[in-house]
Amino acid sequence: MENVIELRELTKTYGTRRGLTGLTLDVVQGEVFGFLGPNGAGKSTTIRLLLDLIRPTAGRATVLGLDPRGDGVQLRRRVGYLAGDFVCDGRQNVRAYLRFLAELRGGVPQARIDALADRLGLDQSTKIKKLSKGNRQKVGLVQAFMHTPELLVLDEPSSGLDPLVQQTFLDMVAEAAAGGRTVFMSSHIMSEVEAVADRVGIIRDGSLVALDTVANLRTGAICDVEVTFEASVPVSAFEALPGVGRLHLDETGTRLTCQISGPPDAFIKTLAHFSVTGLRATESALDEVFHAYYDGAEAAPRTDSTTLA
Amino acid sequence: MSAAAILTKTLSDSRRGLIGWAVGTALVGMVYASTYPSQRENVDSIPEALRQSLNVDGTAAGYLQASVFGIIVPLLAMIYGVTMGARAIAGDEESGQLDLLLAHPITRTQLVLQRFGALVAGAFGISALVWLAVLAVRGSAELTSVSPLQFLAQCFSLALLAITFGALAVGVGAAVGRRAVVLVVVAVVGVLSYTASTFATQIGADWIAHLSPFHYYIGGEPLRNGFQWGDAAVLVIASAIFVAAGLARFNRRDINS
Repeated sequence: MENVIELRELTKTYGTRRGLTGLTLDVVQGEVFGFLGPNGAGKSTTIRLLLDLIRPTAGRATVLGLDPRGDGVQLRRRVGYLAGDFVCDGRQNVRAYLRFLAELRGGVPQARIDALADRLGLDQSTKIKKLSKGNRQKVGLVQAFMHTPELLVLDEPSSGLDPLVQQTFLDMVAEAAAGGRTVFMSSHIMSEVEAVADRVGIIRDGSLVALDTVANLRTGAICDVEVTFEASVPVSAFEALPGVGRLHLDETGTRLTCQISGPPDAFIKTLAHFSVTGLRATESALDEVFHAYYDGAEAAPRTDSTTLA
Repeated sequence: MSAAAILTKTLSDSRRGLIGWAVGTALVGMVYASTYPSQRENVDSIPEALRQSLNVDGTAAGYLQASVFGIIVPLLAMIYGVTMGARAIAGDEESGQLDLLLAHPITRTQLVLQRFGALVAGAFGISALVWLAVLAVRGSAELTSVSPLQFLAQCFSLALLAITFGALAVGVGAAVGRRAVVLVVVAVVGVLSYTASTFATQIGADWIAHLSPFHYYIGGEPLRNGFQWGDAAVLVIASAIFVAAGLARFNRRDINS
């Protein structure tokens, strides 16, 4: 399959502050890629590098086989972009504003704009200035999707959207991918990516800390287990099992709680030696996987000076 | 992209401000120009030295040069140029709107040139209205010694002055992306230019005046001598340099988020 986005050792430093350190990543055609990380981890930096809004300190980015710097115009014609803090302004109404943006792309059929706006429940006769945060985000979505781009680059796309519209948005993403288009979307919330993404990359302090399919990430996920026994059991039977953590047996010796990461096989086989009256296992959300990668990490990229301090 | 989408949008977004400013500037020019009959006598009471430095004499052209086209109208026209120029790149960059525009299939050069084009159009619009306004009172204010064509020449210079300072603002804005920097730089340059052109003769350093855009705006006295193409060329070239220099930096730097 063809790589729509190819990042090679992509590095961006802002003065002494590190924005991105040697990011290497491929996104293939037709996939929905979730780019996760807390605020300040380097998500927007990566995205703005893709669109040539900023230039890399070192390394290389290729988008749709094009160089963002040299072939910027051609590249951006084929990309739909929604900024992290989408801003638009003006006295004109939404319809006129979208028509202006469409004009910058050499025109987009009005019917296409209308269909998207209707679907998202965006009233095009409202003045841009008077739009709420959520409706402004809808304008951002319409302008990103309207020219049916081969690649959608969406930075925190569902921020400010109510749950119903968020679902519509996820449908739109899924449809785009089904149509062979590629979606690269960033988020700091796992759950909004979980539903549509094929693969997820987790970025921390400007470098990739995890990259896998959603299914695989979930397999490695931790689940909380609670077991009740007919009679008291020895804690020692469970202590040495692989993947078992936070083991706790209550005073009566009949109620055991623990967390299991990885395959629960050994645990299940051990349980079978006792008389079990109840078993409850809750698969933790991918959110927890996500947080596991962040344990001990600061939310913002660290500067060299603060590392020393 | 359709050829002038950004230029048209910039003008249409700023049309209220532009129309208001143009009407205001024209009215101020008209009111000042109408006071010529009553002010003519006062000129004689101004001390000779000051009269010379301000380039004032009792003629219509001399009066207009010192008052209407000497201070207030060019100041208003320049404020327009600088405001539009600062907004062109720096303003939109600070508000975050530049990200959206530049994520479209346009080049940074196109963006800057179209924004500057809108500024040029606006400056000519204001000047044209000022011209019509002074023509309207030309007879009643006894200004007939200055021909409509000479008025046009002066208003043409006026547009170029506004454009020159606008170009400086566009250039600095494109280079640094911060409106406060633009305004400080332009204000300093503006004050120095005005001072240089006004007091150069008195401090016995005529050459300093040649560094000032004001010199090329009014030094050739278009109200007496008509179009000063050499002076106009200097302002046009200076504008081109300001915009080109800003653009050179803009094309290389990061857009602030």
